[in-house]
Amino acid sequence: MILAPVDYLILALYFALVLGIGWKLRRKIATSGDFLTAGHSVPVWITSLAFLAANLGAQELVGMSGNGAKYGIMTAHFYWVGAVPAMLFVGIFMMPFYYGSRARSVPEYLKMRFDEKTRALNACSFAVMTIFSSGISMFALGLLLQLLFGWSFTGSVLCSAAIVLAYTFLGGLTSAIYNEVLQFFLIVVGFSPLAIMAVARAGGWKGMASHVPAVMTHSWKYMGNPSENPMGIEAFGLIAGLGFVLSFGYWCTDFLVVQRAMAADSMSAAQRTPVLAAIPKMMMPFIVIVPGIAAIALMNMHIGYALPMRNGEPDYNQAITTLMAQFYPAGMLGVGLTGLMASFMSGMAGNVTAFNTVWTYDIYQSYIRPGAPDSHYLKVGRITTVVGVALSILAAYVAGRYNSLNDLLQLVFSFVNAPLFATFLLGMFWKRATGDGAFCGLLAGTAAAALTHGLTLAEGKGGWIANLHTFSSSMAQNFWISIFAWSVCFLSTIAISLFTRPRAESELTGLVYGLTKMPRNEGAPWYKRPVPLAIGVAALLIVLNFWFA
Amino acid sequence: MLDLRYPIGWFFALIGMIVAGMGIFAPEARAMLTAANVNLYCGLFMIAFGAFFLLLAWRADRSRT
Repeated sequence: MILAPVDYLILALYFALVLGIGWKLRRKIATSGDFLTAGHSVPVWITSLAFLAANLGAQELVGMSGNGAKYGIMTAHFYWVGAVPAMLFVGIFMMPFYYGSRARSVPEYLKMRFDEKTRALNACSFAVMTIFSSGISMFALGLLLQLLFGWSFTGSVLCSAAIVLAYTFLGGLTSAIYNEVLQFFLIVVGFSPLAIMAVARAGGWKGMASHVPAVMTHSWKYMGNPSENPMGIEAFGLIAGLGFVLSFGYWCTDFLVVQRAMAADSMSAAQRTPVLAAIPKMMMPFIVIVPGIAAIALMNMHIGYALPMRNGEPDYNQAITTLMAQFYPAGMLGVGLTGLMASFMSGMAGNVTAFNTVWTYDIYQSYIRPGAPDSHYLKVGRITTVVGVALSILAAYVAGRYNSLNDLLQLVFSFVNAPLFATFLLGMFWKRATGDGAFCGLLAGTAAAALTHGLTLAEGKGGWIANLHTFSSSMAQNFWISIFAWSVCFLSTIAISLFTRPRAESELTGLVYGLTKMPRNEGAPWYKRPVPLAIGVAALLIVLNFWFA
Repeated sequence: MLDLRYPIGWFFALIGMIVAGMGIFAPEARAMLTAANVNLYCGLFMIAFGAFFLLLAWRADRSRT
């Protein structure tokens, strides 16, 4: 793909703008709270779009359109089943405790609710995972830019990391959040014309459907039996594994996204943040997945478009970029490329700011140097930004160098993450749950995940202890690993809690359901109240599922 | 505090003008799979999008004073 000067001009304007926003916000930073938690002062429309954009990395954009080309519209389950319900849940039911407890981070909430060791476990695993996922997505971006434009891998990695570093260093979390909103709009403006033109060229939805296998245009029809759909999954595994355990585990407990809602300027705004973010989230399939399906239709129409081949099968992950090259002339191509860069930067800034807060408050202030004046922690926060970016770059090279290490790390992360939601659910809704119960439950859940992986086989993966069951796809295996991990964590937390001494109820006020005054927003109009909004979003979600069933 | 609607509005209006300008002054720049003047339409849309944000920011400013 060849870029014209005008494309570089647009990219340069975008870089200037994100740096300018960081520069403009630098004077707002007086305390460590301003830098690391945005001082609870960000308007709700900004927090909700940032909530969405922080999760919308370049890998997701490229990977989900690739999945769209490979599996079809059932990829939308990752949004409609695997995200929106959990987003509504965290807004309505969990935000009163996160925001109401005045915790500065998710691990800090665990410290308030349970004990020090549960916080330490969560903070350390989160910090390591954040750095590695940042590095892995940086590696993916460097590789993509090298493939598309022949840019040097090191050059594009260092350049984009330097820009993210500059604006997060200047304006902290506020700057990251503000830029994420801009980045979100760029992604939408840069990619939606592509979706519209690709579908139009393929003859609209009907024309497109006539050129691809029927299984690609129905999201539920073939979910009864794993052998009928290309994902190799069935409805129960999908709903329980992806829709409940994995999705609630991510959207309700991952500090990367929850941090955005915690930055909102009021409890009602914090609750509405994920609820409002769910609206664009459920529309994302039309921008990222539908072009992938259109790519297959265009390929089958034999009009001069084809996905490049790799190892004897189409390289699905190139769907969105090859479409861009075929539909965008110089000018619009620059906007599309800028959208891709924007998605990468928003994802990376999300990782860096979340790592910052957890490192500074939950590790440094708690274990390394407690009791220092606030200005000291502000300085540490700034230094951590630099260190965090440097570590991500290092992780990017490690990820590129040692492919098998990369796979192993992602596997271990999935074991650690799988049981998390059980701990939070019991912590927030059962006052009898104890710190020992939570800690042992988490370890037991992680062990159960590893054990399930060791005892089952899918696509040649797992089964390193014995093979008791073979799954039809590694996606199905992944869903079932998380179901077992969650259940073991849930049951063992309850069992151990019942044998250990509960905390006094007076210590749990504001942290647990039943001992917390739930916010009521009577008097506010319906669109400013979280519950009516969530009901509206849920109704829309049901319509979408039926429409594309 | 910075009103984010201004930078968003100005940015999209500006790149909209650049892209629409490409559509007007270099209409022969076409992509392979489409006969439409993509730059012109997308550019005009971005100008409108930017103008909408500027209007919102301007109205908020006016109601504050």
